Amino acid sequence: MNDGAQHVVSRLMRESLIDKKVIAGTESAVRPILPALNVVQIGGLSIMDRGHSAVLPLLEEIVANQDEHTQVVGVGPGVRARHILSVGLDLGLPTGALATLAAKSSAQNAYMVSCLLASHGFVYLEAPFIVQLLPAMLAAARGAVFNGIPPYDLWEHPPAVGKIPPHGSDAGSYLVGEVFGARSVILVKDVDGVYDADPKANPGARLIPEIDATKLKRMALSTLPIEPVLLDLLPRARLARSIRIVNGLKPGNLTRALAGEAVGTLIHA
Amino acid sequence: MQPPDNALLTELGKRLVSGSLSDAAIQKATDATPTHAILPWVNVVKIGGQSIMDRGRSAVGPVVAEIVANLERHKMILGTGAGTRARHVYSLAIDLGLPVGVLTVLGTAVAWQNAQMLQYLLAEHGIAFLEPEGFASLPHYLMERGAVICQGMPPYKLWEQNPDVGRIPPQRTDTGCFLIAEVFGARRMIYVKDEDGLFTADPKKDRNAKHIPRISVQELLARDLDDLVVERAVLDMMLNARHIREIQFVNGLKPGQLTAALNGEPTGTIIYSEAAGGRA
Repeated sequence: MNDGAQHVVSRLMRESLIDKKVIAGTESAVRPILPALNVVQIGGLSIMDRGHSAVLPLLEEIVANQDEHTQVVGVGPGVRARHILSVGLDLGLPTGALATLAAKSSAQNAYMVSCLLASHGFVYLEAPFIVQLLPAMLAAARGAVFNGIPPYDLWEHPPAVGKIPPHGSDAGSYLVGEVFGARSVILVKDVDGVYDADPKANPGARLIPEIDATKLKRMALSTLPIEPVLLDLLPRARLARSIRIVNGLKPGNLTRALAGEAVGTLIHA
Repeated sequence: MQPPDNALLTELGKRLVSGSLSDAAIQKATDATPTHAILPWVNVVKIGGQSIMDRGRSAVGPVVAEIVANLERHKMILGTGAGTRARHVYSLAIDLGLPVGVLTVLGTAVAWQNAQMLQYLLAEHGIAFLEPEGFASLPHYLMERGAVICQGMPPYKLWEQNPDVGRIPPQRTDTGCFLIAEVFGARRMIYVKDEDGLFTADPKKDRNAKHIPRISVQELLARDLDDLVVERAVLDMMLNARHIREIQFVNGLKPGQLTAALNGEPTGTIIYSEAAGGRA
């Protein structure tokens, strides 16, 4: 059949990549690219905005573990992103513009972290360099720091409710773990994990040590210590099938998480 | 550290700074903010990869001529699809066990090649090609020359999300172009392909397929068709869109359809959203 197009012969030649049967036919195993990698995400509001008293002990813990566990460090934006969201929303800017603006705040935080880790051989990598250079950088340097917010920029998805960009630094760090097939994705926050109710309002709230993402979504908790979009991403995981939330204000938690111990909350696919 | 002085913040701003962004009530409150259309006069036109670019001069030539003829009257962001080389590289990369994010990086290169070729054909009219990083210059080029070219893939790279089923990146050039139109609050989103729009089945494979001139995105999703004229991600995002209320599909192999769509005429197929502003 000659349909007028100049084709390259392939299994998907002339096929509609929208056709459900064609899509289902592509199901097959994925190979992890960097299976020894650990992605550690440092919270913006929860860790960075607290300054040296919270940040420096955590960075010391990262350095102390780097010989045994290769880590790349994602960093969140914190209160400056909240501020620019506020001004941007007041000006009527769309979600994609807000995402682009907020990503600069986490880039600042990531750059500061990379300066503090520079003497230990960590480098700061922008998104294009994550794509091109991360494996080489890990081999040559000791580690890498990246902007936790994914490079969705103007192409950020409009959310179902409101205008806040749904993919923040938790989602971006998780997706780095998924695409490289990382050994673990650890989100470092200022709470011990996910509680069955808001611990600030309910003294009787209990910590959930381990939970299924779909089940957690069904619980519809009024606040979560992570971006809700993670609960949509995890069920579609091929390689990074869980995330662990730990309290970075308590020394030793990150080390335990890297060692595979049950600390904080594990959310799995 | 000093407690922040929030006197300059709006009431919503105070909640954003002190509250949790995952709080549904705060998310809802952001809906009440104004909505500014950044480029309300621009039209986003996506030129299909397999449907137009892969056909070479016989298809691309007339489309280019029609674009040039409209430069004086309609400002256009021209995005390109990927096509058959993307299908080849996706097949190979899937066979090699590579993840969706890597397939997105590979597919982006194909859309980029098509954008470059289109630009060579439009260069004599002063039309520039812009990478996503250069989009801040886009208003200037549109004012000066009436159109710019970009590759259609969203710049998600390794951060592309897995699909529910299979290994193909779910958000490709249809989605990337739609999101450009949405974020700029564009006048129209027009897809130039090689069919007269949407049919009840693939007209290339089923002679009894019937043409659908106009359908709501809600009804189209409810029909749950096996095949569609557009990536499913576009339909999902239309439900959440603040600006783009309808998208149009025209046949680039039939001269005049793109011009008609730019003039606001109902040619091809229009998919529209019933809800006004976000999911109910």
